[in-house]
Order: sequence, then structure tokens, then C-alpha cells
Amino acid sequence: MKKPLAYFLIGAVCLAPLSAFPVNAKKAPESRADLNTMQNALLAAIPKAQAATVCIDLDDGSGSGVIVSEDGLVMTAAHVSTGVGKDVTVIMADGTKLKAETLGLDSETDAALIQITEKLPEGKPFPAVEINKTDDTKLGDWIFSLGHSGGFDKERGAVSRIGRLVRVANTTLQTDGALIGGDSGGPLFDMEGRLIGIHSRVGAVVGVNMHVPVKVFTDNWDRMLKSEFIGEGPFVKKPEIGKGFLGLATKTAKGGIEVTKLGKKSPAEEAGIKEGDLIRTLNGEKLDSRKKLQSILAELAAGDKITFEITRDGKDETINLKLGER
Amino acid sequence: MAFVVPAFTQQSLETNFRTTGAAVTAVFESQRAVIQLSSAVIYNGRNEIAYGTVISADGYVLTKASEVEGVGKIDVRVDKESFKDAKVVMTDTRWDVALLKIDATDLTPVVFAPDSKLPRGTWVVVNGVTSRTNRRVMAGIISADNREILPEGGAVLGVTLKETKKGLAVEEVSKDSGAEKSGLKKGDIITTIDGKPVKEVAALGKLLSKMKSGSDVKVAILRDGKKDELDVKLSARGDIFREATRNDEMSGDFSNRRSGFPRVIQHDILGASITMGGPVLDLEGRAVGMNIARANRAETFAIPVEELRELAEGMIKQVGK
Repeated sequence: MKKPLAYFLIGAVCLAPLSAFPVNAKKAPESRADLNTMQNALLAAIPKAQAATVCIDLDDGSGSGVIVSEDGLVMTAAHVSTGVGKDVTVIMADGTKLKAETLGLDSETDAALIQITEKLPEGKPFPAVEINKTDDTKLGDWIFSLGHSGGFDKERGAVSRIGRLVRVANTTLQTDGALIGGDSGGPLFDMEGRLIGIHSRVGAVVGVNMHVPVKVFTDNWDRMLKSEFIGEGPFVKKPEIGKGFLGLATKTAKGGIEVTKLGKKSPAEEAGIKEGDLIRTLNGEKLDSRKKLQSILAELAAGDKITFEITRDGKDETINLKLGER
Repeated sequence: MAFVVPAFTQQSLETNFRTTGAAVTAVFESQRAVIQLSSAVIYNGRNEIAYGTVISADGYVLTKASEVEGVGKIDVRVDKESFKDAKVVMTDTRWDVALLKIDATDLTPVVFAPDSKLPRGTWVVVNGVTSRTNRRVMAGIISADNREILPEGGAVLGVTLKETKKGLAVEEVSKDSGAEKSGLKKGDIITTIDGKPVKEVAALGKLLSKMKSGSDVKVAILRDGKKDELDVKLSARGDIFREATRNDEMSGDFSNRRSGFPRVIQHDILGASITMGGPVLDLEGRAVGMNIARANRAETFAIPVEELRELAEGMIKQVGK
């Protein structure tokens, strides 16, 4: 007789409301027991959340992000990733620095994905948090924020803050857990440690802190995974077609175009192209004149990846590089 | 930085129910009762300038030194009672703590918690806004690992120097710096620091980079050709030569001295900079620390109870001698 009972219990658990955090059902915590419930929830959720909260090191500052898959996919803000196909460095909680590449972004709502391209030692899975895909968060829910406020600090760790959802709109959540520079792109969690948003921006008042709801990410997930640049800003400016920068001068030669000069620290030089190289093709298209090169470049933008086939000292080589910004 | 949120489908939570709202802080009544009796409000005239932590029944109160230094007349309010002309009887510059004495006999000192080993997410309660009769509270959580806060930008004497034929000449003495307090003057030639000769600005900077703000150095000088030696307390560069960063601009009000602490606990309760000095309570109403610096809009530092207790006991003992 015991088996059916167990079966019934499992059924009952499944029927329970999805937002199981009890204090959220009250307008405010009412008792010491409620405070303990909240504290216990935080103590249980923060360590895992903290392990998955990364710092994203940019040339001129830093932001935060959160790992959401065991193979190192990171959710962040578009104004942190600042573009598609960019090389960035991700710093794990223990200070390990890993190479990463920005995938797609939604420039209108401030959502972006980054893929960590290096593996953890011994191929260990990345610490990842669960995304709350139920869309069940509501006004007044208790939340906690993490982020590398003001930059990475190993001794301190990611900073955690408690707050409530004080405003809910289609593409923005507002909380009263204070954010500051460096937190951008960091995670916003419900009290069960499930990701509900990504930090985006702050108002002049401490109580005004804006986040991108995870729904904006999940709605655009496949496009962002495919490294698509969505929208026309304002959080990231779309790279302009024809503004891609290569940084070399050429002359038409037999079988292609010959490199006559390289700009210092130009994308071409940094990719290893040398004076005298004979460039035969660009993205598979034959280059029979300088004009041909220019006409292909006119269709490309900063950040676009290109492939050259060249001949140097009689040997054929392939060179991949990313266009800079002119 | 402020973007307009689309108006449709927008809902907003009443202020009363926000984290610092009265409907939420009501649940912290037992901790508020402790704040009412064992925290102090420090005034200069009508202005609140800091909070304090009551550490003895007979009128000793700890507060943030840099907020009360140089203030002419200090009055203190504990519970509903006002105490005029509190005296700063001792200061500890390393921790930026001042010991005040008020004329009282039956205060309720804070009860110290056994330790400050509090994981992130632990509730803490501190002073909120105050009225003549009533203390309010704000609550938040421990937000980071306990650690040392190095002096922002390293330790400095608080002078600008010029390399001259005679040696390092003081060009300017910064206000409120250890140099100023030691009596170092424009025109003095610095010859040695702790007995080590210094002839170049870079060499002096290198020497100081290994030292901590709040510690003393012996500075040998030549003044009008005469040798003299001064004890100079080192300051944090960031506290003396302030350059506002973008985060500072976002932070609004922050403490003037916010770096160079041997160890702090960090929480997320954001009072104005004048709210420093009050106790940080756990849910049991015990002091786990004392607020010492609002660092920015997301980070507040407190002296951990272990060191706070040592400071309280040590300072009372010393002034009692």
C-alpha cells in the first residue's frame, strides 16, 4: 500500500506553485522565522551563484557576467560585450583568466552572450547557474545581486546585495539592491538562486538599479548564439559597413596583389602579414587587383572575420584576422 | 545614465515596502530596540555628523574619528537623552576610531557577538534615520569576505616635494594630512625617513609603498639649517589627494576616509556617510562590528567585532590610567 502513496506525493510536489519561496507571498517579512527563511535561502544559494559570477576584463575597464552552461556560455550586458566576435578575457572567482569571444547581442535591450573558449584544467565543467525560464517573477519578490563591483578583487570576491523587485516592465526589471560600475552584466537572482536578470544600468538615486530580464535573452537566444547583432542601439553602436580596417597597402601583381606596406599595430600586421606577401584570395574570392580588395572590404565592417590565402617565399599559407575599426 | 522605462505594463512597488521601507524594517523591532539604547547620535549644533557605539555604562562611546575631528562642540544623544559637550578622549588613526566620553552613568553598552565569521547573505542591522526620541534601522546582508582594505593609492606623508640641491624640499603640505599634524612646513628639507636617506621623490615613494597608512614614520628634516625629527602618521593617498572616479560620481555621498583599514566586514546597507560609527548588529541584537566607511554606493565597511572589542577595551584601559 505504500507505493501509491509515494506516487501521490510526487504528484503533489509537481502541482505546487512554481515560485516556491514562501516570503514572497507576504507583502513584507513578518517574523524572525521569515528572516531566517530568507537568510537560509541566501546562504544556500550564494556560494553556487558566486562561483559562476565572472569578471569580464575589457581594455578600458571591466564588467561582470554569469556562466549558464557547463561548457562556458556566459550571459552579460551588451554594453559590456560591446560587439560581436570580440576577444575578451573572463576572470573566474579564483582569479583564473580565460580567453573568451563575444557572441551575439541585442543592442536595444542590453543583452549579450559570451563564449569562454579556453577549457578549465582537466576539462572540468564550468560552474553554471540555472536560468529561471518560468517567467514567474513578480513585483515585490525578494532578489539578490552579485557582481564584481568596481573591478575584480580576489580577496573580496563578488559582492552580494539583497533587494526587492520594485518595478517590472517588458524589457526592464528595477530593484533596490544598489549597483555600481563593474557590476554591469552581472547576475540578478531570485531567492532560490535562479537567474532572473542581468545588471544593465543605474539611476542617479541609489534605489534605482536596472536589469535586463532573462526573457529578453531566451526570446533572442538562437540569434545571439549565431553571433547576430540585433537592433540599432542605444547600448552598442552597430559597426558600419565599409568601416572595417585592415591596415595594408598593396600593388597589383602576378597571381594576386602584393603587400607593399603595413600599418604599425594594424590588424594585418598583428595577424602576421609581411611586406612582400602575395595575397591570392580573400574569403575564397580571387584578388586580381587592388580594386577587387577594396570592393570586398566595402561590404565588411569592423569586427568581421576574414581569411586570406597568401604565398610567402614560394609557400602557401592561410591567414585569419578580424577587421579593426577605421 | 538614466534611461526611460517604457510605461506600458509597468508596475511599481510602494516605497513603504521597499527594502529600506518602514513596512519591511518593522520586522527588525528587537534589533531596533538595541539601536535605540546602545547607539549614539553625534551632533555639532543641530547637524548630525556621525553615529556612535555605546561601549560602557559610564559614558564611553566609539565613533568614526575623521567625522568628529576638528569639530568644535560635540553633543551626543543616546536613546532620548542628550549629553552636551562630549570630549574626544582618544583616537586611533589606524582604525579611524575616536573614543568619546559623555557624562552618563547608566547607559546600555552593546553586547559583542562572539566573532565576525559571517557568510555572505547573513542579515545585519544598522542605524537608519533618527529623530530626537526615536532611532530607526536599516537592514541588509554581509556582501563580501572579511579582508584588509589597503590604503587607496598607497601610503603618503601628505606633502608635495621638489628635488633641490639641498635635498627634498617640502613645497606644499596637504590639509588634514599626517604631515600637517606633525608640524611639517613648507621649505623643510626631508633628509631621512626612519633613518633611511631619501634624495629623490621616486625613492621616497618606493620606501612608503611598503608601509601602511596609519603607521608612524620618523622624518628627519632640516629647517633653516637646523636638524629636527618629526613623527608623521602616514595617510592613504586616496584620502589626501582625491581624484573622483566615475564610480565616485555615481556614489553620491561617501566617507572621506574609506581605505587603509587592517580588516573589515562588508555589507550592503547604504546610509549617508554621516551614518558611520554606529553598531552593526546580527539578528540576535549583538554587535558584529561598527560601521567605519561608506566606500561607494554598493559597499559599506565595518570594523569586525574581534578588533572592535580589542579597541574598546584597550582604549578605555588606556584613558583610565
